[in-house]
Amino acid sequence: MNQLAIATQNLTKTYASIHAVRGINLTVPRGSIYGFLGRNGAGKTTTIKMLLGLARPNAGSARVLGMEAFRERIPILQRTAFVSEKKTLYPSLTASELVRFSRGFYPTWSDSAVGKYAGLFEIPMEQPFEQLSNGNQTKVWLLLALCQGADLLILDEPTTALDPITVDQLMRVLAAEALDRGFTIFFSSHQLEEVERIAEYVGFIDHGNLLMEAQLEDIKSEFRLITAAGSSLPEQTSMHVLSVEVEQNFYRYLVTRDAELFAADLSRNGATITSIAPLSLREIFLLLVRKEQSCTSGNVGVTAAVSS
Amino acid sequence: MYFWKCWRDSRSLFVILAIIAAVIMPVAALVSVGTKLLEQFGTSAFLSTFGLFGMLSSLALGTLVASEEFADKTVQFLFSKPRSRAYFVWTGWAVGCLELLLIAIVNLSAGWLTLSHYTNPFHSTLFGSTTGHQIVTNLINSLLLFLFVYCLTFALTALLRNGLKGLGASMAITFGLPFFAIAVRWRWKVDMPIPTNQIGTLPLVMSNAVWIAVSLLFVFAAQLVIERSEI
Repeated sequence: MNQLAIATQNLTKTYASIHAVRGINLTVPRGSIYGFLGRNGAGKTTTIKMLLGLARPNAGSARVLGMEAFRERIPILQRTAFVSEKKTLYPSLTASELVRFSRGFYPTWSDSAVGKYAGLFEIPMEQPFEQLSNGNQTKVWLLLALCQGADLLILDEPTTALDPITVDQLMRVLAAEALDRGFTIFFSSHQLEEVERIAEYVGFIDHGNLLMEAQLEDIKSEFRLITAAGSSLPEQTSMHVLSVEVEQNFYRYLVTRDAELFAADLSRNGATITSIAPLSLREIFLLLVRKEQSCTSGNVGVTAAVSS
Repeated sequence: MYFWKCWRDSRSLFVILAIIAAVIMPVAALVSVGTKLLEQFGTSAFLSTFGLFGMLSSLALGTLVASEEFADKTVQFLFSKPRSRAYFVWTGWAVGCLELLLIAIVNLSAGWLTLSHYTNPFHSTLFGSTTGHQIVTNLINSLLLFLFVYCLTFALTALLRNGLKGLGASMAITFGLPFFAIAVRWRWKVDMPIPTNQIGTLPLVMSNAVWIAVSLLFVFAAQLVIERSEI
């Protein structure tokens, strides 16, 4: 059985002259929680649309739950729950009617889950969707996704318009459900803190390039920011050097593993190591995205999700 | 489930149209009492009303049923459901078609009863005797026209993803085609088939079958485009 819930190879999408997604290689292991991070317009939603067969890639391929996206769209959708970035639903239908509408599409639908999450999220089930607050509208989407009995949850900006308490609640629910039921969660966000809380894997996308894909545990234990003073030090990224920033004689290297060894190499080249510091997800994200460097095969899949 | 949802979306319009369909002929008859209009025009008065009202209903239902998902921007939600897009297209179409048929039946029944109440439906002072066969032929012709207009409007609205644009394009084609045919005939001396008149020398049944096929072809074309479109 395929161990990957999502696997893309050189997935590319172009709209006229706009390169929305540029040959990305995602690897999302089954049963994992994967945070797909990027700024607005980075290519997150386009990638998700291709995974769900709502958009056709110009090049490359995507496999979802072992099936080929777009060609096997319906079997994929039977086992995948989706929360759209635009939280629009039929305005005149109540949450109960939306449940009634959605139920018929999924043989694995759980009515007990409806009661459970409606209570937990405090959703007014008999109010028309258009009369619900933005937060409650998002909750209805999440309710429909969670009750579907899916193997894979694809959530596009799931916490939009939610207050901090509900975000907290949702994150706890998602983490608990993923653990209990063993399903995979792939969610896009630009809220780094919430991703850091529950994700096991993260992928950074910017300008359609996958800048990095790594296990969060590795980021915490291995990723280091090395600051070195010197001249003519290496300025190129490589397999384990995600980014290099140079300011006068100071170099800042974002290293994905073996930071001590790399620092020793720099020292041998005459550098003075001023610090080797661990980084938060936010710092890594800012370092990578601010540079807007294009994707290279060397820095994609730094911590190969399942191959390691 | 989608059938129920489409019905829920269009039921208000359906009820309004059905009420108008039920009262339009009795009201017209009441207003014209004493003028002997019904006696003069007989079935042609009733068939004209039936035709015009049916056309308007076809345009309205075709637009509403096809545009609902685009107007509410819910098409992404819908197409993320595990059903073929063809299922959604044809279910929406079927709901509108059924409603149109019911409206036509209501209009027809009310019209016929009204006419029978005031005059002999098979005779008018202006046009003389009318046979049952002629009436049925005219009715079938009208129903085919409704189907044609409904399918055209439905397809154009779905393709253009906008109710107003679809309605406008459909009206332009429906009402412009006879004039276009006249122009073609005047310029090139060629008889263009006008929906849903008998096509050339084809037998009536064959001609009607062709018009039904053409109408369904519009929806099929819309289905093919929607199946390939990106959301």
